[in-house]
Amino acid sequence: MKWGRIVVTSLKYIIIGVFILWVLVPVAWIITLAFKPYQEWRVAYFIPKQPTLDNFIVLFKPEVFTGVMGATAIVEPVTKPLINSLVVSALATVLAVIVGFFSAYGASRYNTPGPFGIFFTLLTRMLPPATFVTPIMVYYANLGLLDTHLGLIALYSSVTVTYAIWILKGFIDAIPVEWEEAAMLEGASPTKVLFKVVLPLVRPGLVVAGLFIFLLNWTELLFALVLTNINAVTLPVHISKYVGAVGQLYGPQAALALIGSIVPVTIGYIIQKHLVTGFTFGMVRG
Amino acid sequence: MTDRPAPRSIKILANLPLNALLYAVLIIPFLLMIYLAFLKWNPAGGYEWWRAPLIGLANFHKALHDSRFLSSLGRTIAYVAIVVTIEFLLGLLLAYLLLEKFPGKKLAIAIIIYPLMLPPVVVATIFYLMFQDYGPVNNIFLRSIIGEKALGIHWFLRPDTAFISLIIADIWQWTPFIFLIMYSALSAVPKRLIEAAQVLGASNFYIFWRIRLPLIKPLIVIAIVLRALEAFKVFDYVYIMTGGGPGTSTETVSVYIYRVAIEYHDISYASAMSLIVLLLIIIVTRIFIWYSFERGGR
Repeated sequence: MKWGRIVVTSLKYIIIGVFILWVLVPVAWIITLAFKPYQEWRVAYFIPKQPTLDNFIVLFKPEVFTGVMGATAIVEPVTKPLINSLVVSALATVLAVIVGFFSAYGASRYNTPGPFGIFFTLLTRMLPPATFVTPIMVYYANLGLLDTHLGLIALYSSVTVTYAIWILKGFIDAIPVEWEEAAMLEGASPTKVLFKVVLPLVRPGLVVAGLFIFLLNWTELLFALVLTNINAVTLPVHISKYVGAVGQLYGPQAALALIGSIVPVTIGYIIQKHLVTGFTFGMVRG
Repeated sequence: MTDRPAPRSIKILANLPLNALLYAVLIIPFLLMIYLAFLKWNPAGGYEWWRAPLIGLANFHKALHDSRFLSSLGRTIAYVAIVVTIEFLLGLLLAYLLLEKFPGKKLAIAIIIYPLMLPPVVVATIFYLMFQDYGPVNNIFLRSIIGEKALGIHWFLRPDTAFISLIIADIWQWTPFIFLIMYSALSAVPKRLIEAAQVLGASNFYIFWRIRLPLIKPLIVIAIVLRALEAFKVFDYVYIMTGGGPGTSTETVSVYIYRVAIEYHDISYASAMSLIVLLLIIIVTRIFIWYSFERGGR
């Protein structure tokens, strides 16, 4: 009996250990590769012998490099896509959270907006983006919204507003109704109750919903790929062009992957407890 | 408060911004797509869609006889079936193993969920680099098993290995998704139920199979449905790692529709295929949920 237990316990730790390695090895490879000079891009060891920052510098200033790294000069510096991603993700998040907050309050307290609105927002998450980006492209072309920040912001906020509604509804449901009723008995108008009583209490929810939606916006590729070209190119689009077109510039590609990870990983760990809630539209509580 | 009608001001705030956003950005294009699907329109032809001729169901007919569309559909379904099965089994196993307290558990969970937070483009880049001829998969891992031959494996130049590389990337990134849901589900099973069964002499296997699993079944269904819907969308990995190749051998539905619309400019054909896919997804999801809950079966 005792030996059996020891075997089972060690098997358990081995499985967990193997899985942790499976997660960490690719990450470790990318981190070390990002600091390797081009002579070491094809080597069979992790720690670079001559660590360098060139792979990062070439992403921002492709023009100063010649030779192997000079090939990156055909790609724009990462600066603009980085700024675009920050601006588009942030503004789309703010819009989605504001709109979502009002709808979540209505859904939590009064069953409004009706089932159609809620169903439609869910539907947009069910369907592959590739299946409805085509008409949006045509529509945006007619409106002159192609390759604009505004176009991306509007689209991102409308496909993520459903997360704002579901996450915030959970937070609002947890606030005792009595407080609002008490405020109303004092003669406060419904909007005053919403802004002066509910809004301050739901602030942590706004932060969680906002960070989660920012994460989604930051990682989105397909919409941005179809709807942008030069002006509003986002970081994922830049990465996809960089990895596809520039071929075997392993070092800079790894460095770019790291740059693309910093923001979402930081956010991810801040809202770690709430990730399940977010990914499941609040159906599962973390 | 839910039984009371909403005050006018709340009704406006809850409905107006949401509907304005949805109609302006999604519903109008959605209706446009239905119309486009019945046209013969290619913007390269030099005229706008409202001048294009209606051709009835021709685009749908073409789709159902387009072997490239049908095989991309079949490939996507196979992809979903494979990744969801593996991710579910792995995620459930991990969640079960991590249920009990042990030193370093918080760190272990933090590491396990790391891939979940990465943008799929970054994960695609990571595995693009891992599977290069001189990447670590060949150069370190396989070389230590099969020797120098390993360097001759061109992962992205063969249909089967290219497909496997996509599946590996997906499993790497999304197993933590299932893990997180299963972990919070299993943690919520009341301890006294487990203890009572142990007192009665039930084996661990019996407790898992007959008590824990049935109790978390609704969450299993949610996890699988959400994951399957997400996996069906697969685009980023294919676009970056294999480009749908070699040839069209790893092209998924999303990639094919993207290509028809963006590279071949056949907007009306892409719209028709999109509608077919939408219909399929709605029907399959509905059947799956009905089968899992309303029929009451297992």
